[in-house]
Amino acid sequence: MTDKIFTKEEWMKGLEGLMDAYTLFVPVKDGDFHAFMPLSEGKIPDFDFQNTRLSPKSVIYPQSERLFEYTLDSADAEANILKESPKDFSPRAIVGIRPCDAHAFQIVRRNFDNPEYRDPWWVRHFESTTLVGLGCNDPCSTCFCTAVGGGPFHEEGLDALVFDLGDRCLIKGVTDKGEAFLTNMNGGKPADEAVLKEAEGLAASASKKITSSPPTDQLKGKKTNDLFTAPFWEEVAFGCLNCGTCTYLCPTCWCFDIQDEVSGKKGDRIRNWDSCMFPLFTLHGSGHNPRDAKVQRVRQRFMHKLKYYVDKYDNGAQCSGCGRCVRYCPVNIDIRNVCKRMNNF
Amino acid sequence: MLKYTEKIQETAKRLLQEKKVDVFIGYKKGSVPMMNEPLLVSDPDRVDRLYWDNFCGLNLCNYLTKQTGKIGIVANGCNSRNIVTHIIENQIQRDQLYIVGIPCEGMIDHRAVMRAVKQKEILDIEQNGKTFVVKGADFEETFEKDKFLQSNCAVCIHRNPVIYDELLGDLVEEQTGVSPYQDVEKVEAMDPEKKQGFFTRLISRCIRCYACRNACPLCYCPTCFVDESRPQWVGKSSDPTDTLTFHFLRAYHCAGRCTDCGACERVCPMGISMRQFTKKLNKDCQDLFSWEAGLTLDQRPPLDVYRPDDYNDFIK
Amino acid sequence: MEHVGIEPGRLHFSWISSAEATKFVDVANTVAKEVKALGPARYFIKKRAEVA
Repeated sequence: MTDKIFTKEEWMKGLEGLMDAYTLFVPVKDGDFHAFMPLSEGKIPDFDFQNTRLSPKSVIYPQSERLFEYTLDSADAEANILKESPKDFSPRAIVGIRPCDAHAFQIVRRNFDNPEYRDPWWVRHFESTTLVGLGCNDPCSTCFCTAVGGGPFHEEGLDALVFDLGDRCLIKGVTDKGEAFLTNMNGGKPADEAVLKEAEGLAASASKKITSSPPTDQLKGKKTNDLFTAPFWEEVAFGCLNCGTCTYLCPTCWCFDIQDEVSGKKGDRIRNWDSCMFPLFTLHGSGHNPRDAKVQRVRQRFMHKLKYYVDKYDNGAQCSGCGRCVRYCPVNIDIRNVCKRMNNF
Repeated sequence: MLKYTEKIQETAKRLLQEKKVDVFIGYKKGSVPMMNEPLLVSDPDRVDRLYWDNFCGLNLCNYLTKQTGKIGIVANGCNSRNIVTHIIENQIQRDQLYIVGIPCEGMIDHRAVMRAVKQKEILDIEQNGKTFVVKGADFEETFEKDKFLQSNCAVCIHRNPVIYDELLGDLVEEQTGVSPYQDVEKVEAMDPEKKQGFFTRLISRCIRCYACRNACPLCYCPTCFVDESRPQWVGKSSDPTDTLTFHFLRAYHCAGRCTDCGACERVCPMGISMRQFTKKLNKDCQDLFSWEAGLTLDQRPPLDVYRPDDYNDFIK
Repeated sequence: MEHVGIEPGRLHFSWISSAEATKFVDVANTVAKEVKALGPARYFIKKRAEVA
């Protein structure tokens, strides 16, 4: 696989040169925080960030997406037909995505792309996207990617990985998609041994900087029912507001709701993110709601992430350790503490 | 403000031991700097987790509605006014509550602190009365608390609790000479197009997480109007008009009841200035009905009762 | 409503008893005239969800 070294200016120029081949999503400063936005004239990418507030999952999986539409207007040739809304699946690249968020896409992929079920929209968006990751030189104190099978320079889920070496950056191709990205990019020189060693050193020291490490080794061995009936859930759930902050910011949460909206003779079938935190999440058509109490919903979220997913896929927790829920939960419900309680119960 | 932690622990222990309350609601120190977690204690031997500092900006009255049993709760000025509103609205009975009043000198706005350190990660905060020290991996800075108050605390004129069974400290001096509605007046002076732009931009970051609604003690409807689908009053997607509708309508539902506790603004993960929606209504209630929510248990709110001298110039 | 940016002239209030037929006619005509003068509303109107 190719390893290319760029100066910072060459890197920016190289990115601009790719704007015809890909729609590039880069971190852009938006007020107090960063967000992944399409790189267009006038937008300046800012790679000096720890992580974006909203995860890049919305690039592949938008918060509200029109799936189908129809019209009842008899003047229209396609009246009374529910047709798929046209979408743009042209090549995209998310440049600067952190390894935890890329790992998260692999976690979510098990849900949207498996032998039993393939979500056509998610899959097509994902397959047309190249993930060019940026390794974390300075992980936050709330990051715990190493505890859930990831790392600040982990390559799983990435097509290419960028090492920020100060005034230069090393870009390593990981998959064929990443190779294609690198080949299309102008500038840069092949990297020599010294640079590769520097990059390895950077990755090693970054891993050591991770201070949060909730234990996850016992989760698989626990009996589901023991955890379900554990006495600590009331205490964990007391402060919870049942808002959607953790679920919407989380790169591994995937639940959605499909709604129809009608306006005059036109109608749309829209998919929106939904949250297991919301009271009506499990409201049945019959009117029965099996999780109408807050503690049931809070317990469900942690059990799903740290137990049910672990049992079902035998590949770690449904968490990439990005720490967004820890930083942004308005009432400071800390998944690291809950994980510890569950693991050590 | 910081000396309250011990007093709260003592008081909670005594109340639980004497069985004056079944549970005590307060805060627990957070696992990340500048955040605290609401805590329910029922065991007098575990009151040592209770904590109070300058970052207790949530509204604990949110956890009171429709509770049974006897509850002890800490309440500063704005929170105590919400308790009054809850009692007036029959969400809880006065004799169920043992209110531990805390004269408050304002909470610190954690976002303003983050801005001051240019979003660098904060690892620890040391609070020393009128100042606080912010520590990161490679920096340490001291700030004055008064310059970093939450926007509602900066203009608060009801710092002392209006209702309490026990007061934990001496009453503090109320602020004078604050003009709480300066930003509302700025918007009022704009022409319609500018106003439209103002509100559209204000809400552009909203992700419909409903943290604001859920943190608000006034929002206790069993099914919120946004969750209804038969009939569907508001769309569920991130459409900007639906989002605006949600925020405007929610503000209307809080008209005359909002005590400007700032919880909505504090919990918003996107940092939206939520109070811009409710402040105008609070100002109108003050101007038109001379009403401020939650000050007395004896009067019914103006939107609840008809008075012959009610403002009606707008009806032709 | 004015505060949120709806142009004054789009929202009117009036007490009209069922016995005040002429007043009703006047008010209805006035409102129709004022709103027409403002033109079609662009703000706070949703025809179709603006989503991805």
